[in-house]
Amino acid sequence: MPDLVGANGQREDFRVVGKPNLPGKVSYALATGIAKFGIDYVVPNMLHAKFLRSPYANAKVLSVDTSKSLALPGVVDIVTWEDEDFQTFQKQSFYAAPPGPRRQWLDNYADQEGVEVAVIVVAEDEDICEEALRLLDVQWEVFPPVVNTLKGLDPDSPHARPRDEIYHGKDPFARLVDEPKKGNVTKALTVQGDVDKALKEAENIIEYKLMLPAFASQIPNPPASVAWWFNDPYATEPGPSLHIEGAVQRRELISALYKVPVENTVQEGIFQGGKYCDWGMRRSQEITPLLARRTGRPVRCANTREDTFDFLMNERFMYMKVGFTNEGLITAIDDYSIADGGIDGNASFGTANDHGYGPYYTMKCLNIRQYMEIVDTNRGKMYLSGQHCPFNWDSGTMAIYLIAEKLGKDPIDIAKLNLHGPDSQEDDRSVPSFDVCLEEGKKLMNWNWHASGMKKLPDGRYHGASFRYQICPRHAFTSYYTKLEYRFGKIVMPTQGPVTGIYAVECNAMVVAEELGIEYDDVIVEYNYKEVFTPVGGGSDGTTASAWVMKECAAKLKQQILEAAAYEAENPPPPAMKGPQLPPGPNPLKGYKAEELDLVGGYVVVKKDPSIRRLLEHAALQIIVATYAGRPPDALWSLGRGKMLDTMNTAYCEVAVDTETGEVEILRLGAVADPGKVLRPTSLESQIDQVMFFSQGCQLLEEMVWDERSGVRLNNNMIDYKKPTTLDVPHIDRKFLETRAGNAAYGASGISHSLANTHMVIIAIHNAIGVWVDPPATPDKVLKALGKI
Amino acid sequence: MYTQESTSAAASSLIDALPDKIDVFRCPICSAVTANYDSLRRHYDECHVAEIPPIMVTLRLNGRQTEVLAPPNWTLQRTLQFKLGLTGAKHMCDKGVCGSCTVIMDGRAVLACTTLVVECQGKDIQTVEGIAADAKWKPLVDAYCRWDAMQCGYCTPGFLVSAKALLDKNPNPTEEDCREALSGNICICGTYPRHSTAILEAALKIAEDNQAKGAQR
Repeated sequence: MPDLVGANGQREDFRVVGKPNLPGKVSYALATGIAKFGIDYVVPNMLHAKFLRSPYANAKVLSVDTSKSLALPGVVDIVTWEDEDFQTFQKQSFYAAPPGPRRQWLDNYADQEGVEVAVIVVAEDEDICEEALRLLDVQWEVFPPVVNTLKGLDPDSPHARPRDEIYHGKDPFARLVDEPKKGNVTKALTVQGDVDKALKEAENIIEYKLMLPAFASQIPNPPASVAWWFNDPYATEPGPSLHIEGAVQRRELISALYKVPVENTVQEGIFQGGKYCDWGMRRSQEITPLLARRTGRPVRCANTREDTFDFLMNERFMYMKVGFTNEGLITAIDDYSIADGGIDGNASFGTANDHGYGPYYTMKCLNIRQYMEIVDTNRGKMYLSGQHCPFNWDSGTMAIYLIAEKLGKDPIDIAKLNLHGPDSQEDDRSVPSFDVCLEEGKKLMNWNWHASGMKKLPDGRYHGASFRYQICPRHAFTSYYTKLEYRFGKIVMPTQGPVTGIYAVECNAMVVAEELGIEYDDVIVEYNYKEVFTPVGGGSDGTTASAWVMKECAAKLKQQILEAAAYEAENPPPPAMKGPQLPPGPNPLKGYKAEELDLVGGYVVVKKDPSIRRLLEHAALQIIVATYAGRPPDALWSLGRGKMLDTMNTAYCEVAVDTETGEVEILRLGAVADPGKVLRPTSLESQIDQVMFFSQGCQLLEEMVWDERSGVRLNNNMIDYKKPTTLDVPHIDRKFLETRAGNAAYGASGISHSLANTHMVIIAIHNAIGVWVDPPATPDKVLKALGKI
Repeated sequence: MYTQESTSAAASSLIDALPDKIDVFRCPICSAVTANYDSLRRHYDECHVAEIPPIMVTLRLNGRQTEVLAPPNWTLQRTLQFKLGLTGAKHMCDKGVCGSCTVIMDGRAVLACTTLVVECQGKDIQTVEGIAADAKWKPLVDAYCRWDAMQCGYCTPGFLVSAKALLDKNPNPTEEDCREALSGNICICGTYPRHSTAILEAALKIAEDNQAKGAQR
């Protein structure tokens, strides 16, 4: 029960937290189309901008003649990489910039087909921009592309990043091997124990390969911005003010980019859209202030959907060697992988720093080696993830499955055997959260394990099942700065936003309502870009860690309200022009001290006799503000608290495979999760559905395809790149458990996307038909794996 | 605060702001102002022979007769956003495959990103703003919000319009009917099961409201 550290201890009774079907604070704006995203903004007298986008995957612009384009009616400005404006203009990083020289914001190198390069055209409308781009006379030097990751590994391979040595910064999260980079390859290594010795002594060894597919950006809304400059007579800082919409939450980065005081930078919109592990901004979101300054008019720049296929979950080939005992206890893990490093500027959290948070984090095994070769390619910007990414946990999931197959055991039993205890890798006890998840999971799924190829359904198809687990992580990447204002019986919760779809602000509001004895609807979320509080820092972190901080803030506010109520009962304030009309008669709280009072159901009540009460808005007429800054105690991942295990989740899959047609049908998905405490069940369900469906998508449907000779993307559109629809998604059974063992509000942990995976369906297919099919397991690949085509 | 009342009122304001008539016929190339549409066309014949003049389209948009001037290659989605101030029909795939720009035209759910505005002459078109402003559909919007039939919310208006088009034709849909009707809408946040739940709840509420109104009469 770690949450006892909090000001409120471990609350037992909940009135608001955990209640389903409370609408989100901005849901009505989203559902009705009133919400404006960056791409929606249209302002008077607005110009449009478009980048030259490279038709080549690896090329250099030698020269550009813009004369024909400039002569086109409606063209207002053309900027090239040689323009003075770009000499001092540098990209702002999502996190601390690596040391050393950095790449020019816009240069003449194209490292991906479709990437912005060399030229920007500004015109009266987008059609004129397109025409002006067609009229450019561009001289290219074209280099051979690297779009096959494995071929890119070859020392003789063409270089994917010709100028790499100049600007390539080290991934601040990765443990890179300290040696000069060779060709396209960077190496990363993490070692624990003596892997070679442990493998030599192992009673059994399995070797297997996993191919993690590259699948496309999860951003639904094409990024865009519109910006203009204005003179604000009320600005506190001298100089022109900048208004930008579409760079949501990144006001500080924009102000730094343009060297404008942040106080003079306006960014009112709060709707960011989906940004699932796709952080930072696109160029279209950063460039508009520059173009607006040059032209003296508002400028809009928007990506198309095709442009937005530029960011991918990275392709990764994993070659695994696992030693284990005859009982199934893993004693050695040798994990070698080749990962697609993509183009410069990938998002590379935890490249190989996975012992701190990955599948091996949960295991008793003390001998682990992870060695990764990261290959620069011209395929796109990559989410270059280590095993910490939920998708990559399946190296562990697969080990457990294969050991079970080899020993004729249930993989759930193998997982239990290998999971270490709550406190450390050496802790031999079982994890209570894991035990209850498995118990409920078996019931939910009528779990009855069979070896591969052993179960045929009445319709002749083969049945397969799989299971995986993950942790519900204790997060606290960041501190949160919270502020609450009591105002005439209501609570105002100022927040900067943004709205990202994780319902974090709602969880915060529910906690506030819970602590202050008021209704959820009486917590008014006031969005203001100038505020500091933003419940964002990763999905789980933003939701649960910020909710812990908000709980502390609410506790402070409650104390202040009760003190005000006690004071005002003794010292009635004189009538005011504004504020509620007080009821006639004496104040029933007169004579009571703050510590004798409580807040219940919208009233200030006397603890020992709650029938003595006064409506909150009448009991305290003062405007009261409380603030709190901090983060929840004992966060694991970010604070290095070691290999503790507390809140877990499990997922299950059943498939039917038709060996005649190669078709795979997911019969059922199951999720039994213990997020410690369910704060907002409706959004928790939805979060789980989302990861299950995009996991389904990448295992059965989705695949980015490049032409190997030209490096051109062949299916960067929503027709050819197949996402699941309502008719594709299977039924999901979900069950939530509450062990209260997390570190955030009321013992909650995050769940985020920890159920996301690339191999749960693939393993179930293997369990059905006894062969491996790399994702996506399309019918042709299934038939090929079966040797039928 | 975004409430049902405030968003419905905002949608009504957007609809009220739609132009009944075009007041100024300005040449988009040289900014010359002409007296009417015919003179604008003549101006093109005289001054911009190689260019194609904008077309004038009259449509019934969310119950209002509306005139708009737009280039003939413009889609309905682009016209709604850039000429008429309605951004509920979202630009997403631009290929007629994701449903985020869905509107109802003469009773049918159609995709505004692959419908040219020139095809909309004289058509009756309803966008999500029209649904939001119509009290009759409050139960549908309420149900969407109660059930979190949205996460990031970008595709949600398209789903809501498809849902309304379904309920127009079939006031008592099954879950299968809902899945079928929404199969042209893609949600990358994976909210699919929540839409059916919301629509089924809304259908019941709308039926109850209708019954109550019938009883009052």
